[in-house]
Formats: sequence, C-alpha cells, structure tokens
Amino acid sequence: MRLTIEVWRQDSPEVEGHLETHLVEGAQEEMSLLELIDYLNDQLVSAGREPIAYDSDCREGICGTCGITVNDQAHGPVANTPACRQHLRSFKDGAVLRLEPFRNGAFPVIRDLVVDRSAMDRILQAGGYVSVDAGTAADADSVQISHGRAEKALDFAACIGCGACISACPNGAANLFAGSLLNHLATLPQGAPERARRARAVIAELDESFGPCSVYGECAQVCPAGIPLSAIAAVNRERARAMIRGGKDD
Amino acid sequence: MSATSSVAATSATSTGAAKQHKQIGPKWLSNVLAKYIMAVTGVVFGIFVLVHMYGNLKVYTGAEHFNDYALFLRSLLMPLLPFEGFLWLFRLALLVCLIGHVYCGWLISARARARRGGHKRRGLKGFQSFTTRTMPVTGLVLLFFIIFHILDLTAGVGVAPEGFQHGNEAASYAYQNLIASFSRPLVSLFYLLAMVILFLHLAHGLYAAVSDFGVTMSQKVRSWVILLSGLFALIVMLGNISIPIAVFTGIIS
Repeated sequence: MRLTIEVWRQDSPEVEGHLETHLVEGAQEEMSLLELIDYLNDQLVSAGREPIAYDSDCREGICGTCGITVNDQAHGPVANTPACRQHLRSFKDGAVLRLEPFRNGAFPVIRDLVVDRSAMDRILQAGGYVSVDAGTAADADSVQISHGRAEKALDFAACIGCGACISACPNGAANLFAGSLLNHLATLPQGAPERARRARAVIAELDESFGPCSVYGECAQVCPAGIPLSAIAAVNRERARAMIRGGKDD
Repeated sequence: MSATSSVAATSATSTGAAKQHKQIGPKWLSNVLAKYIMAVTGVVFGIFVLVHMYGNLKVYTGAEHFNDYALFLRSLLMPLLPFEGFLWLFRLALLVCLIGHVYCGWLISARARARRGGHKRRGLKGFQSFTTRTMPVTGLVLLFFIIFHILDLTAGVGVAPEGFQHGNEAASYAYQNLIASFSRPLVSLFYLLAMVILFLHLAHGLYAAVSDFGVTMSQKVRSWVILLSGLFALIVMLGNISIPIAVFTGIIS
C-alpha cells in the first residue's frame, strides 16, 4: 500500500505543533495503525530524523495506553476499537491518514502524538476506589449479589481509561468515563456505601478539567470497551441523588 | 495511566500539568446544575409550545371561537385574579424560565468551547450530531423569533401588521390580527423557518432532557425516546406551519 501520512509533530507542550507529511510505500494491509507508525519511524531513524513519539503498551486492546486521532476520529475509522487494533485494511490504497494526538483542553500534548491524561487520573483519585480494607481475598460468595447486578457492574467496569470518549466529545466532556466509574462502583456492595460522597468528589473534579455533556453520543461510538451511552446519565443522576441525600453518606 | 512512549526520545509521562482554566460563570452553577436547569425549563417550553400549538389550531374553528379562546386565556381564574392576572403570572414564569434557559445555554456552550481546547471536533456526521451542534444557533434564532412574535401578535407594536386591533375585557381580535400578520409573505416565511428551527431545537432538546434527568436508557428505550422527541417536535411544527399556509391558500381568511 501507498499511503500519505500527515502526522502531528510537536516537540514539547510549550511550543506550537504542526502537521508533517510523509509518503509511505510498501505498507501492508494487515499492519495496525501503530505498526504503520513503527514502519514510518524506521525510515525516519534511518534518515537520521527524530521518530514520531506515541503511546502504546499491550497492542491487544486491553490496556488503554494507545490513542491517536485518525482523520478526526478517536482511535480510527472502526467503531469501538482501540488504535492498536485498527488495521490498514480499513483504508484504500493511496489514502491520506491524518494522525493527531487525542484532542482535549485538559490533554496537553507532551510530544508528537503523546498527550498527558493525568486529568483522568485526578478523577480516579477523587473517587475511583472503595474505602474498605481489602485484606486477603474474601470467599467468592460471602457477599451475594444477583447475576444481573454483577453483569451490570462488569459492563461499566470494562473502561480501560484510554480517553477516547473525551477526545471524541465536541464539548470536551468526560461523562462517559466518569459515568462508567460511578455506575460501576454504585452497583456493587463494596462501593455502594460511599456512593454519595464519591459522586460529589468525582463530579467536582469533572468540572475542574472537563466540559459539560450535550448528549452528542460521539463518546460511545469510539469507546474500545463498549461502554454504553447510558453511562453519561449517571453523572447527573448520581449528583442529584447525592444532593437529595444532603450530608448523609449512604 | 502510565504512558509508555514507544520512542525513548523523551520520558514523557507525568510532566506538563493541565492548563488551569478560568472559571466561566459562577462556580456554584456547576455543569450538572446548569444542565438540570436547561432540562427543566426546556421541558416547560416543550409543554408550552404544544399547548400553544393546540390553541393555535382553534383558528380552524372560526373567528368567533378563536377570539373567545383568546379572551378565555385572559380571563382565566377571573374572580380570583384580576383580568389578565393569570396571564401575567404565566408570562412571568415563562420569562424566568427563559432567562434560566438562555443563560445556562450560553454557559454550557462557553464552557464546552473552553474545555475542548483549541482543536474543534471536525467530521461530525448524522442528524443527532447536527441538531446537537446547532443548539446554540437554533436557540438564538428562536429567541429572536420569540421577541418578534410577541411584538407582532401580542404587543401589536413595531413589526405588527397595519391595523392591529388591541383586545379588551369584552372582546379579542386575535383572529383578525393573525390573518393580517400572515397576509404578509415575508412574515409567514419567517414563521415557517422559525418552526423548522423549533423542530430541530426540540427534537434534540427533549431527548437530551431525558438523559439530563439521569434516566438510564437502554439502546431500545433510547431509540424510543429519540423517536418520541422527534414526533413531539414534528407535531408542534406541522400544526403551527399549517396556519400561515392556510392563510396563504385562503383556507382561512
């Protein structure tokens, strides 16, 4: 395959970035997007130029480390698929691929395609935990919950924290990310006791870095973990619930 | 998240703290609260335009009945309240809703613009994205239309038709004023356009309101909510635009 790559180059958060165009010959259809960048980087290094910096780790869609914007779509053209699992067969021979970092006001570009997603970490710090002494593993069924409840919690726990939902949002909102967190922990007996406190803390932090949700629904279309769009409603519901309950912490 | 850069050019993990944004609007007015205000006031307007449209359709029952209905609205709860008393309370409530809706709408779009950063999302496709993206624009057009509409058919000043007749405690001339106003093609055209805009605004607004109220929607329920919001908006639009068309084609005169 012969592809034209327009890739975002930026040396540091402080300087302006720009698009740099490369012509790539001999790319294979079965290459992933990340392998394409590796392939291009080999050429760049051979030519004595700086390789393109990008994030990756597991390359099998479970870690949430990779993430780039491809032709304005977070992760790439295939819905609900991380960048590492997107392949060049989605593109026609001779296509132009514009590779940019994840875009959001709270995601400063560190270098090229690498962004700082610590705004998401701050949300997890605010409420992505349960305050119980875990100790050694308890018996599997010592606290019994229904199958449906366990499945629901697992659906929302599937979030891998990649940030694609936030990058895809025209409002720069993180409601899918925060909503899946709130839904997940509120559903389980271990997380339920702190439900109101968690909602207040998480949503206060959400307001610090991210925008308001206008129900575009773009987030759920890119989520590699398949978090359903219903997660976004959890932000408003959990906050209203916390307010109604006043100072009480469930 | 630990960011593992595949290229060891920079150890790019925890540097570059997110830029601190300046606070837009009062801090106590959180995004969640602003969205609740938009949802509640939006639903009030949704119900209002539906009832308003129902009242408008009385134009097909003839001048007398339509004018009687207009008079009825003015004399609602009359012995309890003075003439037009209920109407003014109602207008005041709508005005409060309007101020809340417009302010929160501005706040949300301003915050969204600031928070998404310098790179605007491009390549949005589909009806849902279109109506969502255009909410501030359609909202502004509607705001302008509301002012126009009140001057035209309620206050009877400025843009009102020539020969506008003011009603009193004994009689209303709503029918005559309506015909006179819609007999002007440009006004009818603007009305038509405003109703299409209302459809777009309402179709997304009602659906978004359900989500804003925190209702967890399964895929199936979501499809129904989107359909019903669209249907609601469609009914309001079609009911209203039938009137200038009826005036134009001489069905009512």
